[in-house]
Amino acid sequence: MRDIDLKVEPGRFVSIVGPTGSGKSTILNMAAGLLTPSFGEVKSFGEPVTGVNRRASYMFQQDALLPWKTVIDNVSLGLTMAGVSKAEAHAESRRWLEKVGLKNFADRYPHQLSGGMRKRTAIAQAWIVNPDILLMDEPFSALDVQTRQIMENELLQLWQESGKAVVFITHDLDEAIALSDEVVILGAGPGSTVVGSYEIDIPRPRDLLDIRDDPRFVALHREIWGRLKVEVSKTYESALAEEGEAA
Amino acid sequence: MTILGSRKTGSRKNGTFTGQDHRNSVHRQPRRGEMSALAMRSVQLLLTIVVLGAWELLGRAGVIDQFFFPLPSDIFQTVWLWVSSGFVFPHLWVTMQEAILAFLVGAAVGLLLGFILARVRFLERLLDPFLQMFNALPRVVLAPIFLLWFGLGIWSKVAFGFTLVFFIVFFNTLEGVKSVDRVLVDNAKMLGASEKQLLRHVFIPSALTWIFSSLHISVGFAITGAVVGEYLGASGGMGYAIAQAQGVFDTKGVFAGMFILMIVVLIIDLLVNRLERHLLRWRPVRSS
Repeated sequence: MRDIDLKVEPGRFVSIVGPTGSGKSTILNMAAGLLTPSFGEVKSFGEPVTGVNRRASYMFQQDALLPWKTVIDNVSLGLTMAGVSKAEAHAESRRWLEKVGLKNFADRYPHQLSGGMRKRTAIAQAWIVNPDILLMDEPFSALDVQTRQIMENELLQLWQESGKAVVFITHDLDEAIALSDEVVILGAGPGSTVVGSYEIDIPRPRDLLDIRDDPRFVALHREIWGRLKVEVSKTYESALAEEGEAA
Repeated sequence: MTILGSRKTGSRKNGTFTGQDHRNSVHRQPRRGEMSALAMRSVQLLLTIVVLGAWELLGRAGVIDQFFFPLPSDIFQTVWLWVSSGFVFPHLWVTMQEAILAFLVGAAVGLLLGFILARVRFLERLLDPFLQMFNALPRVVLAPIFLLWFGLGIWSKVAFGFTLVFFIVFFNTLEGVKSVDRVLVDNAKMLGASEKQLLRHVFIPSALTWIFSSLHISVGFAITGAVVGEYLGASGGMGYAIAQAQGVFDTKGVFAGMFILMIVVLIIDLLVNRLERHLLRWRPVRSS
């Protein structure tokens, strides 16, 4: 990856889309402070990020709930580790569980929940610490299509109330356009860079269940896909070429 | 119930728990054509009666030499005699003391060193060849030197049991901590976990499955260490009692000692199981 210059304003929902291997997750991990860039620097609110980014929360693609903690203990984790008393943290967690529709599941263990419910728990876990930035790495990619649309809708509602900045990684252009204010396209790896950035001016609040029929959505989708297509086929061709060399 | 030692592989698979979909893992009902638990118990009882009965009859008929293979009825009589006269209890107490001390010290040091080496890569690389060397040493050869160093009392057996317990707990802890799912660690870090909190909320619970699979074996090894140590030279303990019986060609006594030890180990294993089930209650019921 090289020459990535990416700015996310507070309160903006920015999606990063790119073909496989374009370094989407790497960008996110650098923003989170889990990885350090070999050149250049990452800044959060004007301050360089050293170590873990304290103003950000991260939602992972895989399940990241602690399997040995109940739902409510998982949600409380960020607060209790910051020194909030258990009773207070639990009260706050209950509020969040109610928001994500899980108030009757507080005492379950993660393995007793469905995939969608685990994602809701993860959302509550990430938001309860009141971060300024939310980093999301294909958080819904493991869900079935229907559950996924419902989760996207709920995420959007939560975000609209909050005024937080979101960086959302996905390989699904539909999802990116439907959710974001801005869609950033990464080129084919290795040595990928930002090849395009598109402002999504579909008015909010949006109803994600119908948005795919919106003429503005269709037009934007055609335009961005025209650019993304090039990168995707590049990735595909180089993968084919590599296979040909190996064979 | 399995015998100590054959458990090692059981819970390993769950050492790297990623929280995938386990919704369907409910308690397994016996499949069609499979026996119910009660029927299985009855057949097991029947098998025991047949084997012991055959042994008894063949012994009485003179096919098996009663000197080397004393009759089950004689063995149980000796067990009863040892128990009812109270002869066995001081010996059992000595052995238990040694085993418990060896287990506690061995497990504590194994856990501590396991956690430290798993978190400090430099130390792991530095100490690895030495640990491998000591682990390769057949531990029984240490017993005579420990006898010289620590004398005939309990401490030579504790030291011996320690060398057995330590390595099992240590290697399992090391592996358990190292195999913790990366994403769980990253998630906890993002939520603001300090190194100490990571240990408490992520590494220790995650390593628990591994530690428990090692506990079953190491409890057995602690007792083995104590008994073997006593057998080689002691003034009390089950190993000593068995050695005494052997010294006067009392095979009934040898078998009685074995039987009592077997029961004691089974009871302890049962308790470890209980504890394991309590501490690992978050785990989905194993479907296989």
